[in-house]
Amino acid sequence: MKLIFRIVLDILLVIAILNGWWPIAIALVLIGIWFFKLYIEIIIAGVAYDALFGMTHGMGWRGYEGTIFAVVLLIVVKLLKKLVR
Amino acid sequence: MYIRTSKRPGQDLARMSAYIAAGIVVVIIAVQLLVPHFLPSIFTTIARPFWRMEFSVGSGSLDSPQVLLAENESLKTQLAALNVQQQSIQAVANDNSELLALLGRPDASSVAASNIQSATSTGTASSTPISYLKSMPGRILAAVLVRPPQAAYDELLIDIGADRGISYGAKVYAPGNILIGSTTDILGQTSKVKLFSSPGEIYSVLIGSGRIPATAVGRGGGQYQAEVPQASKINQGDTVSDSSISDAPFGIVTAVLANPADPFETVLFAPSVNIYQLRWVLVATSTGKKI
Repeated sequence: MKLIFRIVLDILLVIAILNGWWPIAIALVLIGIWFFKLYIEIIIAGVAYDALFGMTHGMGWRGYEGTIFAVVLLIVVKLLKKLVR
Repeated sequence: MYIRTSKRPGQDLARMSAYIAAGIVVVIIAVQLLVPHFLPSIFTTIARPFWRMEFSVGSGSLDSPQVLLAENESLKTQLAALNVQQQSIQAVANDNSELLALLGRPDASSVAASNIQSATSTGTASSTPISYLKSMPGRILAAVLVRPPQAAYDELLIDIGADRGISYGAKVYAPGNILIGSTTDILGQTSKVKLFSSPGEIYSVLIGSGRIPATAVGRGGGQYQAEVPQASKINQGDTVSDSSISDAPFGIVTAVLANPADPFETVLFAPSVNIYQLRWVLVATSTGKKI
């Protein structure tokens, strides 16, 4: 059941990333991080978002903000989970 | 007495996840430093078929024959009306060409004439891109796969790239010969276009009938602003054009913000096309620099 939920969540995440719906993508990855022990898809989603819409010449660090945000979110939620559970 | 001999499994998992995340970040940094276009190429190659499909559906590929026939009829009527309009504008363009030739700028006459011609064909450009393309030599027609607000950085993703000889910095025009941006990243079959309206981007323009020189500063979302002296008499609806001799249309003044205490007034303007609805653009092939 948990695996099916994860696959559905991943498919929704791919759709959100392809369409550039980053607020929806953030909501989905938050659900993913909270429910699964190691939701590594968040990093892939961050890299994919930057590769599609960022990582452009002249954009500087802003072109990598998806990846940076994903790593920070993963660490913060991991720490929060440790505190709460 | 109980002695713990091993660490908790939760700690191991947390450590492992931290290592994996750090490893991915290190790999990304290394790949970006060594092969800057590798990751964008991989992901856009995967995304391109989905975007193309979305574009085709949006263009009416799945509409019923009745809807397509009705649209065809409507476009034919529209085209006939525009042809009549075109003839009178062509006469003005010819006059303009002769005047420019008299003033010693025969080279500019053809550019100016084509601008007038293309500016009037905006209505048909989006519906008949092939005929529009024929009227614009030295430019390649491209379909817009992703546009703001879908792309969060005020940029467009178009369906042509190195495969069609697009170069870095090539100018990009919306239907109607409206200059909107330039290419910033060229991939195999796609390119990224940074709009001049991106926050902080600057471009030289001429505003109003008095052709007041100003620097357009991008505000994002297809909007620009410029500072002009109070006595410039710029009004809402005035045209903004490219500062080159080609005189390409750039935008239309949407508001003028004046403070009596300030010697300058702020002019807000936007392109006459809606960047949120752009489906086709033209990319210049003759200009631009390689990197």
